[in-house]
Amino acid sequence: MIHLQNLHLTLTGGGGAVEILKEIDLHIAPGETVSLVGPSGAGKTSLLMLISGLERPTSGEIEVDGNRLNDMTEDDLARFRQRQLGIVFQGFHLVPTMTAEENVALPLEFAGDPEARNQARSALETVGLADRCRHYPGQLSGGEQQRVALARAFVSRPPLLLADEPTGNLDAVTGQKIIDQLFNLQQSHNTTLLLVTHDKGLARRCDRQLQMTDGRLLTESRS
Amino acid sequence: MIFWLNTFRLAWRELRHGFRGFGVFLLCLFLGVFAVAAINSFSEASRAGLQADARALLGGDIELRLTQRPVPGPQRAVLLEQGRFSEIAELRTMARSGKDTNLLVELKAVDRGYPLVGSIGTPDLPVSSALTKVDGVFGALVEPALLERMGLQLGDRLRVGQIEMEIRGRLTREPDRGFNGFTLGPRVLISQDALTATGLVIPGSLISYSYRIVLPAGTSPKATVETLNSRFPEAGWRARTFDNAAPRVKRALDRLADELTLVALCALLTGGLGVASAVRGYLAGRRTTLATFKCLGASSGLIFATCLVQLLLLATLGIGAGLVAGGAVPWVVSVLFGELLPTPLIPALYPRPLLLAASFGWLVVLTFSLVEVGRARHTPGALLFRGEVEPGQVKIDRLVWVGLLLTSAALIGLTLLTSEDRRIAGWFILGVLGCMGLFRLLALALMTLVRRLPRPTRPSLRLALSNLHRPGSSAPAAIFALGLGLTALVVVTQVEQNLVDQVSRTLPEEAPAFFAMGLQPNQLQPFIETIRAADPDARIDRNPSLRGRIVRIAGQKVSERKIPPEVQWAVRGDRFVSYSKALKPDDVLVAGKPWPDDYRGEPLISLTADLGKGFGVQIGDTLTVNILGRDVTGRIANLRQVDWSNMELNYAILFSPGLLEKAPQIYLASAYLDPAVDVRVTAELAEKFPNVSLVNVRQVLENVVQLMDRIGLAFRAIALVAVLSGLLVLAGTVAADRRRRLYEAVLFKVCGATRGTVMATYLQELLMIGVAAGLAALLLGSLSAWLMIDKLMKLDFLWSPWLAVATLAAGLIVPLTLGLVGTASALREKPMPYLRND
Repeated sequence: MIHLQNLHLTLTGGGGAVEILKEIDLHIAPGETVSLVGPSGAGKTSLLMLISGLERPTSGEIEVDGNRLNDMTEDDLARFRQRQLGIVFQGFHLVPTMTAEENVALPLEFAGDPEARNQARSALETVGLADRCRHYPGQLSGGEQQRVALARAFVSRPPLLLADEPTGNLDAVTGQKIIDQLFNLQQSHNTTLLLVTHDKGLARRCDRQLQMTDGRLLTESRS
Repeated sequence: MIFWLNTFRLAWRELRHGFRGFGVFLLCLFLGVFAVAAINSFSEASRAGLQADARALLGGDIELRLTQRPVPGPQRAVLLEQGRFSEIAELRTMARSGKDTNLLVELKAVDRGYPLVGSIGTPDLPVSSALTKVDGVFGALVEPALLERMGLQLGDRLRVGQIEMEIRGRLTREPDRGFNGFTLGPRVLISQDALTATGLVIPGSLISYSYRIVLPAGTSPKATVETLNSRFPEAGWRARTFDNAAPRVKRALDRLADELTLVALCALLTGGLGVASAVRGYLAGRRTTLATFKCLGASSGLIFATCLVQLLLLATLGIGAGLVAGGAVPWVVSVLFGELLPTPLIPALYPRPLLLAASFGWLVVLTFSLVEVGRARHTPGALLFRGEVEPGQVKIDRLVWVGLLLTSAALIGLTLLTSEDRRIAGWFILGVLGCMGLFRLLALALMTLVRRLPRPTRPSLRLALSNLHRPGSSAPAAIFALGLGLTALVVVTQVEQNLVDQVSRTLPEEAPAFFAMGLQPNQLQPFIETIRAADPDARIDRNPSLRGRIVRIAGQKVSERKIPPEVQWAVRGDRFVSYSKALKPDDVLVAGKPWPDDYRGEPLISLTADLGKGFGVQIGDTLTVNILGRDVTGRIANLRQVDWSNMELNYAILFSPGLLEKAPQIYLASAYLDPAVDVRVTAELAEKFPNVSLVNVRQVLENVVQLMDRIGLAFRAIALVAVLSGLLVLAGTVAADRRRRLYEAVLFKVCGATRGTVMATYLQELLMIGVAAGLAALLLGSLSAWLMIDKLMKLDFLWSPWLAVATLAAGLIVPLTLGLVGTASALREKPMPYLRND
């Protein structure tokens, strides 16, 4: 599903060039669940950005579900994300001026799916928020917001889900519920999952655990 | 104490990070305050100049003016005793040259004492030798426009009346000319002896005589005038003292400053929207900080005070810059255009206009930012834990509403109090409130309509529509800013077009080629014959005419009667009156009845309906007119509606026959000629009847339009500031919305939106806002232009639909481009900083 080869990412800011990712090689099979752990600033989120096509590598190869991202245009990458990718963030990142239903429907609407709203409602039902369809993010609790984000990530049934600290902003009980829902959805859709987390227990729920430090993938262990 | 210490400490800490995001805020304030300060400083400087130059403008301490007759010998002798004395005669006449060109000129004959105060501007030679008789030829000083229009040079000869004069110099400045906005021809300055030699001084000639006196030090001009009036109660002169030298100029100046200030206020109020959106944008960006303050124990009051103090400090910067630039305008204008100004200017720092502009500036800041600051006051600390809560959902305290009410009332009060014409100011305020209400209603209507529309299948259109009506939508602010900007553009272009087209539209189908003034009764027949020789079918209208001044209305002295401004022109000076057996066929009687053809009873008067209404007189009331020093009283027999636009010879006051026939009189005539012989006939008439003034109708209309254009220039300049403010506000609205757009664009990208979809979404959103604002602007702008042309300038208004549409199209390009450039830059932003965990 994911093939990364000799991936480098260097960003240039006010303080000069900073090498964020170095010599990353990674292969993830379809349906596999992989966790990525490491200290803050190790480059975990940056790696997710590269895999989602939201950032371009300085060098190296990225192939996701048979798509070589290096060669794709901005619009090709957008269409790739419409159908092949779902992302869940720690900060939820819902559009604050859109209702829960509208937020969830977005990827399908962008793909031109006429059934977007119905599917969005059914996705919200799946995460237990059928009665919150017309609520705005500001009117929902943190846990509810993350469930909306989860519904949005899964609504187009993508083969790959990227999750960046999905429970980082939630309490332990709510976080646990979200993770359970995430894994349930992953299993029912046979979705490949790449999960960034600080929680070692959560990391162990994945088939493989990757350790990342200072922009490099260091060790790998299997559950 | 600690509260205020904390307030200023926090405000300072926030401010020291610079003014990022406040560009539009500062520029809007600068522009608005600058416009108000500049107009009022200039007006004060002009008023001070008028005051300082009042004696020069009048030509002495007192002036006595008579029409058609000089003061009799005994009165003249008394005037001579009062102090230094100068006598001036003015009339309009034709000037001719050997090159067969002729031109109507304003002739001014002066004595050796002229000017008693001030000096004449002539770059060519001393005035003393310019007008004297040398080798049997008198000299003349002429305005440069005459040389240009007649193709003459210094040293050439000019024929006026029966004599030839030598053009000895150019006249660049007359100290007593004042602000003479409209003239029929260029000035020609000659000596009294030369005037006598021209043969133009004959009974009935339209000559105005002025007698100026510089009194000995310590003598009161007012007392002197009173003494002279009581000594010669029947003199019939109009006496003025220097402290009231140019009342018309002062009035015109006050009115102009007033109206320009209102246009400038428009700019400032439009800028207020920029202030509001900048404050909204800024506070939206500070919500996390404010929530953190809340979590750390800051009270709502402290947050409110901190935000307000911070904004007021910043506003002071923008206002200060506007005051410095506006206050410097009298100096700048004096240095750059001093020679071209019709009135003298005394550059100085005038505190009143600056205080006024600053007060307007601060009030606008408070009025337009209180609501946003009131919302910030209630920024929830929970925001740090629960994410964004829509600002629209935050309640605003009653205290803030009270504050808003007070500042708005102060703004309205200040506008009314500082305005000379409260009626216009009142209409302006109603107009502004109406505009605000209309654009707000329009935004609400659009949002409601869009919400009820069926959901389209195209994702970009669906998103664009939901962008318009969802909470926190920028549509109301954008419609407001764009609407006001476009309204100003429509007003400016429609007014401009109407002024430019006025000549061609004002000329009736059949307009006279010229009016002839000052025909002596014995010249009438040869005058007609000369025209008929060239054009046998020519239509020649003529009427006996006399100059008269209304002195009593319904038995009451004019000076004691309240005359409304729209008819004050009729009592300000001498007007032509006539007498006739019958009314003109085109005149429509609105009251009373015409006198019989053979009427020979007591004098009756036919008055135009507008004067009748303005004077508040009824049929049967009397009107007393001073004609050649004699009071003639007539009873109003009828009121008639006159269509002045058909350019037929007509009179506001028409007497019945029987009395005026005996008075010395002249004829006014208008001639409708074949255009092919027009120029030749005019030249021939000018040669044969040198005392007759021929007024070319087209030339006069062009002069009128030129004058209106000059006045319009000031309006256009200030309106440009208003348009610029509108654009700034729009840029500010787009900028304030940028943060939301950036974040949304990133999220849309994450959800798979292509760049085309995002661009199309915003383009459609902007187009819908643009079309809505444009349609409202079309309506409102056209209505305002009609009000200005029809009601204010009293001209015919013709709406130009293509121009309006073209204006809107051009006006929409800027905001659409701005919006698209903003969106394109949002699409170029890297998503990582927005998605990374804090």
